[in-house]
Amino acid sequence: MKVKKVASVLLAASLAVSGLAACSGKDQSKGESSKDGVTTIEFWAAPNPTQQVYWKEVAQQFTKENPKIKVNVSPMKESPTSEASIQSAIAGGSAPTMSENINRGFAAQLAESKALVPLDTLAGWDEVKKERNMENTMKGWQFADSHQYVLPIYSNAMLFGWRIDVLKELGYNEAPKTYSEMLDVAKKLKQKYPDKYVWAKADLADPTAWKRWFDFFMLYDAASNGNKFIEGTKFTGDQKAGEQVLTLMAVLQKNKALLTKQAKDPFENALGIFSDIGPWTIAYWKDKFPKMKYNETYTLSLPPVPDGVDTTNVKTFADTKGLVIYASATKAQQEAAMKFIKWVYSKPENDVKWLEKTSLPPARDDLTTNDSFKAFFDKNPALQPYAAAVPNAIPPMDNAKYNDLQTIIGQQAFNPVVKGEKDPKTAWQDMQKAIEGALK
Amino acid sequence: MRTKEGRLGWLFASPYLLYAVVFFLIPLVWSLFLSATNWNLISPTFSFVGIQNYLEAFKSPGVQAAFFVAFKFMAVFVPLVIALSIIVALIVQGLPRFKGIFLIGFFLPYLASGVVSSLIVKGILSYNSPVNEFLRKAFGLDIDWLGSPFAALFVVALIIAWKFTGYYALILTSGFESINKEVYEAAMIDGVNAWQRFWKITFPLLYPALYTVLILAIGVTFGIFTEVYQLTGGGPNFATNTWQMEIFSRAFTNLQAGYASAIAIIASVVTFISIYVIRKLLELWGKRNGWD
Repeated sequence: MKVKKVASVLLAASLAVSGLAACSGKDQSKGESSKDGVTTIEFWAAPNPTQQVYWKEVAQQFTKENPKIKVNVSPMKESPTSEASIQSAIAGGSAPTMSENINRGFAAQLAESKALVPLDTLAGWDEVKKERNMENTMKGWQFADSHQYVLPIYSNAMLFGWRIDVLKELGYNEAPKTYSEMLDVAKKLKQKYPDKYVWAKADLADPTAWKRWFDFFMLYDAASNGNKFIEGTKFTGDQKAGEQVLTLMAVLQKNKALLTKQAKDPFENALGIFSDIGPWTIAYWKDKFPKMKYNETYTLSLPPVPDGVDTTNVKTFADTKGLVIYASATKAQQEAAMKFIKWVYSKPENDVKWLEKTSLPPARDDLTTNDSFKAFFDKNPALQPYAAAVPNAIPPMDNAKYNDLQTIIGQQAFNPVVKGEKDPKTAWQDMQKAIEGALK
Repeated sequence: MRTKEGRLGWLFASPYLLYAVVFFLIPLVWSLFLSATNWNLISPTFSFVGIQNYLEAFKSPGVQAAFFVAFKFMAVFVPLVIALSIIVALIVQGLPRFKGIFLIGFFLPYLASGVVSSLIVKGILSYNSPVNEFLRKAFGLDIDWLGSPFAALFVVALIIAWKFTGYYALILTSGFESINKEVYEAAMIDGVNAWQRFWKITFPLLYPALYTVLILAIGVTFGIFTEVYQLTGGGPNFATNTWQMEIFSRAFTNLQAGYASAIAIIASVVTFISIYVIRKLLELWGKRNGWD
């Protein structure tokens, strides 16, 4: 009887173990990262078909020239976000050797958890920076601990689009550069078209952290000349510039020039005449909105600045993502990954190929001066302003609490001002207090 | 004999027991452990913080909102889905033929992807959609569907009600089928009208099916995620911030797995107590109508 009992317990236990083993997603190939002298590295590409095609082609070419390193490219899962997938993979022990699509804030979170390799500690890093001509760009990418965890692949200096066709109807031949010019446009727009808005975007009233990159930070970087909002664990926001940004939004709101309701393609339908535009939108318009023509229906400009601020070399937010190498990879894999990076970025042709496939400006200092890129930009004039703005683009904060901090900017300052619920001064004070509390 | 029966019982129950151990018990124990740490699952180090995560959660506006939002959803979604599923079941019940085909038709939304239906609704409710253009021009109504607290909550509840109506109607139809037709015949002889027939006979006799549907519907209100994630992100001002949304944003956006586990444990306790209380109330109502 006892034997039977023990047998049943053993049976149940073995079933449980096999069940658990079946559920385990652990990458069994990891243990065989170096077999027959061939080092295999797993590379997760962004869940974007054009980027996957690019990385697959580049990896194939690399393996042809370096048969001792095999690069397996697979798409990064988005279940439900790419960040969540990466976190789960690291927690489950199935993280890749390297991946792209990492923003600076997320990299700061991963770096704080010792999940990333500081790239500057790997042999060959300095050569990569030099050969890719990105030493200046990289200065803004140094993390608070003085290490470099991310190699920025592209840098979208975010620009504002203006409906130039509507502006011309209002008597303007170019995009407003200062707040007073912008408010003048708003006044004339509401007089001529009461149903149109300057900025029609539901995200303005949404506290989701990343949404602040494409409204508050674009305006704030311009108004403050790229002032660091947070340094280490200290709030260093420029109060004057911040309040000027909030005042602009408050005046626009008062003049009924903002629409914060969900609208379908508001800029394309000219419901709003001002919108944050990334280079990816230009490619999207080619396919979906062929009527959107550069300098005919729309124009691109750097963010407007407060009156009295220099309107040349205006700073803006850089929507930029890059490559990281995970600390869970073996030493051999980390070295192989750096070899791959070095190979890719030692040739400008690979960046040209990237640009042609994705329309995302490579994060390098010589984008407007290197002849390799000239032909592309001649063919795509709408992307020229993005290339020109790369040196003025400010990457996002590198604080591990960036999600909380940017949510506070929305909840305490930007969203209530946009909804007319708070005055700019109170909003800034409340935000500063909440941020300082969160940084403690 | 008793021992053999017992063994057979355990054998037949073992697949579910195994499933429960793997997918409920182990994760529960793991969550309890995580909730007492400040671990983010990826850091090589962590420390035990005791009940600190729970204390922080009780003070958090997001968690407080999630607590009330679940009951607000319950107040809107449960009556809505019960009324709609009873109407659908009654309509199907009255059909002379093809009942099965119609029921399958109503059941299909249950299989639809929450992401897709949310995106369609987002398009329909956008400011410049034909629906809103019509409302503005014909009635001067300018509704901020996803930007005002009650409207956003109602829209999400309506999408979920649309999704579950067919499923619950299926359960209620089987409830209708099980009601003895002789009761209706006797009532008709007594001169009972259609209104009285429904409230005095059908509704009380539908108790077992209604009980199931009510408990399932209440369970749904504690697990809403996809629609909220796609449509409102928990806003405006936490008006649609459900438990799942709060757990997700803490665990995967802020990388606070320990804190998110504490919220998950609190959510489980709230869900358990709520369903227990509602179950008891339903049983009381059932007893008053002769169901033991």
